[in-house]
Amino acid sequence: MDDEEARRPPSPPLPRGGPFRRSSWKSPLRGPWLASFLSSALLPLIAICALTGFLSHAAYETDLSGNALFDEGVDFYFFDWPTSPAWLYVATQGLHIITGLAAIPILLAKLWAVIPQLFERPGARSFAHVLDRIALSLLVGGALFVFATGVLNIQIYYPFGFSFVPAHYFGSIVFLAGLALHIVTKLGVMRSAFRERGVVAPLKEDLEHTRPEPPLEGRHTSAPADPAPPTMTRRLLIGTVGAGSVGLAAMGTGQVVGGPLRDLTFLAPRGESAGDGPNDFMVNKTFEAVDIPMEKVGPGWRLRIEGGERPATLTREDLLGMELIEADLPIACVEGWSTTQRWTGVRLTELARLAEIDSPGGLQVRSLQADGPLRQASLNRGQIESPDSMLALMVNGADLSLDHGFPARLMVPALPGVHNTKWVGEMVFS
Amino acid sequence: MGGGDGVLLRRFAYEYGSNPLHLLAALAALLVSAWALAQALGQLEPPGKFVVWFLGAILLHDLLFLPFYAVLGRLAERAFLRGEARSRLRVAALNHLRVPVILSALAFLVWYPDILAKSSEGFENATGLTKDVYLGRWLLLTAVLFAGSALVLALRARRLRGAG
Repeated sequence: MDDEEARRPPSPPLPRGGPFRRSSWKSPLRGPWLASFLSSALLPLIAICALTGFLSHAAYETDLSGNALFDEGVDFYFFDWPTSPAWLYVATQGLHIITGLAAIPILLAKLWAVIPQLFERPGARSFAHVLDRIALSLLVGGALFVFATGVLNIQIYYPFGFSFVPAHYFGSIVFLAGLALHIVTKLGVMRSAFRERGVVAPLKEDLEHTRPEPPLEGRHTSAPADPAPPTMTRRLLIGTVGAGSVGLAAMGTGQVVGGPLRDLTFLAPRGESAGDGPNDFMVNKTFEAVDIPMEKVGPGWRLRIEGGERPATLTREDLLGMELIEADLPIACVEGWSTTQRWTGVRLTELARLAEIDSPGGLQVRSLQADGPLRQASLNRGQIESPDSMLALMVNGADLSLDHGFPARLMVPALPGVHNTKWVGEMVFS
Repeated sequence: MGGGDGVLLRRFAYEYGSNPLHLLAALAALLVSAWALAQALGQLEPPGKFVVWFLGAILLHDLLFLPFYAVLGRLAERAFLRGEARSRLRVAALNHLRVPVILSALAFLVWYPDILAKSSEGFENATGLTKDVYLGRWLLLTAVLFAGSALVLALRARRLRGAG
């Protein structure tokens, strides 16, 4: 026990052996520089991931009736989601998934780099230290929770039992609040570490010149007290983490960009091509999965348009007889994959005119699906008025397949894919 | 008075352990977290599972996952570098094992629901695709990583042996 420790008030009895003994953490690579370097790679990724995550929430426009999957508590989405450029949601949600995947190996490396501090003694140096540690547990728990649920969701695997969207949303707020305090607390450590060691200089050391990080003056860090001789350079450690990061990002990119890059998906779930016919592109929910009786989508199908002076009921032939438009629009899924196809259908404004509705401010589109929270979608004024917004009847020159929403589906530029409602039965303007 | 403020600030720092701004930031962060946790617990069904997953993630990572791979790493280190001199070749061989193991394990960790075809029926219902292909792909990735690493080691071996 050194002098400084002897002066301290007695701290609660913590075990002294194993991980609680500083000298049992052997790696010579750990320390404030490594933690800071990983953080400076992690922070921009998390910033983009968080921003695009909240943008995705904004794109769902939960203030429009029928779009809210849960009560987000405070509504601070004060703008209407735009329709231009059409690939907007492809870009924001693609970035969300790509940056999230890329952050995973860096996050794991960062946790490895600072793990000794979980066991630091005394466990509570001061009131401020206690608050820091509570926030840290929220940060670490929130990060692991948000990344785990996200990764499971994109593979359509739900072992957790609760609803994904609110859990991921509130979990990320816990994570980001903890992160904000962590940044405030640790920015000084990062500055000192980079000033003393240089930002990239430690990456240039070969094995002979790889030395343990010395402790930082006046700071509690993860630098080892009794390091083992190095067996790996910092360059190799960072390089391996970076390779993992780039690899995961590439798999995500394959799903977002598609085309020739589709093969990059490899282990990500949306790399398969279903064939090369006009309807052979990715499906988010098959017809078989939604339990709509066959006769409802047969010749007896009718589209009901309501909300105006003259409610209308149309057959598919009626719709095909109207003025048709064609547009290349993407389906961009919240799971981070997208696919752009050529759609043919009737402009939403045409349908409003037919039912004698003057400049509708909202539209609710309902599917024939009997249940499911996403069987309906609400659109804002801009989305109704976009010249490319349509009730689509055909894709790539052929009738829609049942899996893609026959007899008719909604297609609106920049709308999250799941809101491009399939098997539409009813449209209510307001 | 500046001097008085200074004394007060020092006193605060002594009692609290940091400056007043830290306290403000900490309270703000904890309040926001508490609000979000309360929303999650109030809205999620069942709320117990949210708690289990949140705490479980920390415990699983910090007390099981990380110690497991740390011990594995140390065993490998011991096996490769035991006894006689830590020749550069042996250190290099250890790293040529480490890198493909880390990358293969990372791929498995992230994509295990694909690789082990978890919830494959729900996946087929939703997408019309199958998860049957991923185990083979992951094995292929692993094989390529190990083979590539071994090849590079073989190319480096002569030079490393020469250097001692």
